[in-house]
Amino acid sequence: MKTQLVEAQNNRSRQTDPRIARCFPVEAAKYFHASAIGSIVFLAFALCVGTAFCQDSIELMDGTKLTGQIIQIRKADKEVDFNASVNGQPTESTYRYEQIHAATYRGKRFVITAKDSSGSSPEKKSTTDGRNTRTKAEVNELIQTVGKTPPAWYESTPLSHPKTLDLDWPLKASGRWNESKNVGQYIWGRVNPNPSRWRSGLKLVHECTKLHQGNRTLLERDMEMLGKLYFTLLQDYERAAYWLERSQAGLNTEAGIYLASCYWRLGNRDMALSLMRGKSLHIDAIKLLGDMGELDGALIVARVYEKTSLANEAWLNTGDALRGAGRFDDAIRSYQKVITRNKARNEEYRKRYVGRARDAITAINLFDKADVSKVADGTYIDSSTGYNGVIQVRVVVNDSKIEDVKVVKHREKQFYAALTDTPQQIIDSQGVQEIDGTSGATITSQAIISAAAKALAQGAR
Amino acid sequence: MRPIQQRGLALASLLFSLALAALTNQPIDQKVFGQLPGSAWVVAGFFAAVAALLLFTSFDRRSQKAWLRLDWFMPALRRRKTGEAVSHSLFGRIVRKLIPAGFQSNYSTKKRGPIRRLLRRFGLSWLASPVRRIVQAICLFTFLALFFYTCWPYDARPASQGSTSDRWVLVNMDEPSGEFRFERSSDTATRSVAFEIAIGQTVYLTDKISLDSGVQLDQIPIGSFQVSSNQSGQIAGTFVNALDPVLQDSIIHSESGGGSITIFQRDPTARPSHYADNLARKERIPAETFLIIDPLVSLSTAIASRSWVWSLACAAIILFVCVLIPRGFCGYLCPLGTTIDLFDWAIGRRTKRFRVPDDGWWVHIKYYLLAGTLVAAGCGVLVSGFISAVPVITRGMLFLFAPLQTGTLRGWHLIPSFHLGHVLSIALFLCVLGLGFLRPRFWCKYVCPSGAVFSLGNLFRVTERKVESSCINCNKCVEICPFDAIKPDFTTRTTDCTMCQSCGGVCPTHAIKFVERWNVVELKVEDEPPTQETSLGRRGFLSLAAGSTAAAVGGLTVAAATKSWGADLSNPNAIRPVRPPGSVPEKEFLEMCIRCGECFKACPNDVLQPEGFQQGLEGLWSPIVVADWAGCESSCNACGQVCPTGAIRALPIEEKRVARMGLAIVNEATCLPAAGREECDLCVQECNAAGYHAIEYTQVGVELNEAGQPIEGTGLAAPLVMADKCVGCGLCQTRCHAINVKEKKLIAESAIIVAAGQDREDRLLTGSYLELRQEEQAAASDNASTSDGGFFIPETPPSQPETTQEPDDDPFGVNDASPF
Repeated sequence: MKTQLVEAQNNRSRQTDPRIARCFPVEAAKYFHASAIGSIVFLAFALCVGTAFCQDSIELMDGTKLTGQIIQIRKADKEVDFNASVNGQPTESTYRYEQIHAATYRGKRFVITAKDSSGSSPEKKSTTDGRNTRTKAEVNELIQTVGKTPPAWYESTPLSHPKTLDLDWPLKASGRWNESKNVGQYIWGRVNPNPSRWRSGLKLVHECTKLHQGNRTLLERDMEMLGKLYFTLLQDYERAAYWLERSQAGLNTEAGIYLASCYWRLGNRDMALSLMRGKSLHIDAIKLLGDMGELDGALIVARVYEKTSLANEAWLNTGDALRGAGRFDDAIRSYQKVITRNKARNEEYRKRYVGRARDAITAINLFDKADVSKVADGTYIDSSTGYNGVIQVRVVVNDSKIEDVKVVKHREKQFYAALTDTPQQIIDSQGVQEIDGTSGATITSQAIISAAAKALAQGAR
Repeated sequence: MRPIQQRGLALASLLFSLALAALTNQPIDQKVFGQLPGSAWVVAGFFAAVAALLLFTSFDRRSQKAWLRLDWFMPALRRRKTGEAVSHSLFGRIVRKLIPAGFQSNYSTKKRGPIRRLLRRFGLSWLASPVRRIVQAICLFTFLALFFYTCWPYDARPASQGSTSDRWVLVNMDEPSGEFRFERSSDTATRSVAFEIAIGQTVYLTDKISLDSGVQLDQIPIGSFQVSSNQSGQIAGTFVNALDPVLQDSIIHSESGGGSITIFQRDPTARPSHYADNLARKERIPAETFLIIDPLVSLSTAIASRSWVWSLACAAIILFVCVLIPRGFCGYLCPLGTTIDLFDWAIGRRTKRFRVPDDGWWVHIKYYLLAGTLVAAGCGVLVSGFISAVPVITRGMLFLFAPLQTGTLRGWHLIPSFHLGHVLSIALFLCVLGLGFLRPRFWCKYVCPSGAVFSLGNLFRVTERKVESSCINCNKCVEICPFDAIKPDFTTRTTDCTMCQSCGGVCPTHAIKFVERWNVVELKVEDEPPTQETSLGRRGFLSLAAGSTAAAVGGLTVAAATKSWGADLSNPNAIRPVRPPGSVPEKEFLEMCIRCGECFKACPNDVLQPEGFQQGLEGLWSPIVVADWAGCESSCNACGQVCPTGAIRALPIEEKRVARMGLAIVNEATCLPAAGREECDLCVQECNAAGYHAIEYTQVGVELNEAGQPIEGTGLAAPLVMADKCVGCGLCQTRCHAINVKEKKLIAESAIIVAAGQDREDRLLTGSYLELRQEEQAAASDNASTSDGGFFIPETPPSQPETTQEPDDDPFGVNDASPF
């Protein structure tokens, strides 16, 4: 049976979140990383080198005042390289003009960006639902200015790929699956699933773009890969959008849908919708439209795909979209279609789709719809797999209240106080959602929560 | 001899010891990296003790003077003449002053007081020498407390993770003072629990980029922030150490991210160390105290490994103590001796059927055993732990009572299975107790090789039991002596006497005294009544020679047998068990491990279990990692801390975490995802949770589409062990075994198994594991792919023509008037 329920919980975040298994939902993942440090090679205008004793200062838009030395002013890029001593540590940073309110340079003060009297910085808002929060021009500006810069971690991240990798990276890898030789397979097999390799993997693709400058096809593939990786792994939408735009990704590919998603997440849903309007869309559009709240649009796309060989994926995506919109019963109905059809191009696929649908239904029943007030009075026993084997939990519901939760059987070795703490937390919170595990015994706690959830589900009316 | 002379001598002795102490300032407890402890301290302490004794003796009011007087028995009740003092010694006089008269005996009517009556109820030996019985009780209690409380790891609790508070932004930063000021963003949608931030508290800051980077929480950059003020929703303070530059940059620009700073109450990158902390907290005295004062333990280890063993210093101290109090260890301290006393009291004395006389071929076994073990140790085979006193009782407690403790307090399913090695050890312990049927403390008197060390040490004794001429040959002392240390003429067998002083307490004429060796005041004439006693020398050169030859031959035979049916280290195919973290190299390990079993007791979840006969006799009862049962906790370093010989080095927790004890190897034929059977990442989860991050995913069985691209959803993520990060803790193996083998019965044995051997473990005799890792990392980074630092941007907008000189008033080029 495995840790099905824990997985089902993870699924909740996985379905709204294209990354592997993170727990930060995308809704909260909007951030804007304003600056890029480190040297940028194409510096053209070394205007002046200030004298060593010259104290310059810049006043940032947020009111921070830094003193130090202006190393370079790059008019073309509208950037200033500035060396400040922060916390006793000299750091060189690059600031864009729009970040700088004023600068004192060689004893003279220059106002660079006037402060808005309303006091709101144009980049401050970050909600993703409903209306546009940025104009099309603002989004494009963002993609142009931020998207093309290397990320802050770029310089300090070492490359970690094996030396045996063939950086020529042809479009179609020859020979058998070999993650130590083929870049695409290395990214698929080693970078994607391992968060510790995400940054170095991106850097590797950037390295490849340098090597493939002369080859348009390879370069476009590289840039699409960059966009996908920035989107799926780091949710760095500015950079994802910049590279996806340049790779000319079509909307019938996953990458094209990512680009639309970037526009929406950067604050302009109209850009996203107009990009998708009137085109044949990749199946992932169902999910995106659902997330954007365009449930009707999502259902239209789903209906198209239901008639194709991709029906299973379409229903699963529809289910996810409906679940995201809070329409749990409709979502279950959509998942149920996969189980009823019970057909796929081969046995392995059939198992996987049906499994996913079942997991999703279980997760909805156990967690999204879990509510003690809807559980009939009684004593329920169910089990889940803990650290060292099955953990059996008995839940007593009386008067629509969780009266008692008790671990009745276990073989755990390292449980600390989890065996008593977690049941107590379930009783205190009268539910299985949002319970912290006991320190050092997460697996045991999770198993107790899952078993309790399954037990409660037995009595759901 | 006048008291004033005595006090002068005491002063001289004290001054001498102070001078010695001043000469040395080496801390004695540096056992970690094997420094020589200041042996001068030992000598200084000895002379200080002598000084104290001289001083005490100088206040004695007896007519028969002595330089050193060690009488602490309770003299038999005897009617006193009027004016005669009841107590002569300073100690006795003080005790009599302190205890109310009502509790004391009446020395004119010979009526016993309540104290004497109470002690008599406990037993004659309690009445005769209460000090000894009390010391014995304290020592046994201490031994048991150290074993069952200090070495009980399960009361350790990991520190709670603390709360987090997100959506903070930088308000401003005062550059000269380095003070940062933050406030909580007004955005309402806060998901995390806020917590009260107190002034002076250190909190831990990170930014959203780090949190979202996909890197595990324990590996993100963190700034330690000391809060100096917390007013109206704003906190101010400074960073304790230098910030990660990327994080600093991000914090300075947090305002534009709309509340991107998260504050942690506890450092999320700190790895737990609760087991190590718990042991350190409970170890007021070392958990291995009794093992290190057993002199045979350190002596034979030092001989076998031909190295300095730090506990030799403790052996030296106890031997010096036993020069003052001959064989005092056996009479007072030894927990095995006290246990045998208890056995005799509870069981042994109730049956006389097996009793043997006090005279026979067995009376000198202990010397031959000692010689035999030392000969074997000389050949590099350490067998003394099998028969040495404290290891014997430690193992006895471990195998008989520790399972009961685990079973009752934690659950009976947590007791590992027993094998032949366990049975043998328990049998040995029961034999030692069973010898008590032959005579009380038969083991201690005739067999115990640790006792033999003290018997030999007695040759250098400073004090001894003396009998004065007032002896009336009443035989009471012979009857009570637990060590058969009194000859038929009532004088002392000096190598056997443990100074328990029971005889002094029962002597009706107060003829027995414990004074300096050279005291000849009013002594009884020897050999009256005549004894048939023959001293060791006179018993016959032949028997001595035969015994010694037997010892030597026996020792050599044991050594040869052990080696030939042993670990076979030169054979690369021989079994190489996974040893505890910080174990010295295998050859030295087998020479230094005394097989006391202390590490098994201190080890949480019984990762360490006694070896059976996998390496023949040579590895018997030595600790091995049984990763099928449990994995080594990254927060624990107990085994090294309690090891009495340094076979497992007492590594600090940071060192222990990087000490490689083995390497996890995935069996691709059975590993569920690697074999294409089903999804499973238990080992990866386990490794990440422990903070090692040594197992990565790799995709297997991926299907490719026509374009050669992998198809989403095909293939399985299989584990791939990073050899440079894996320390061989075995947590992965434990989980795979518990779930896939035991629970689901999918495979016959764990698909990921920790193996030791060449290149899979680091076994350092000295030196730092952290440094070793750093060197390896440096070597690896020299070898790694590097970037030339460029960053490719397509379709760069045409750059403006390069101008060499800008007018000074417009360096920024914003407009004609401003440089921007």
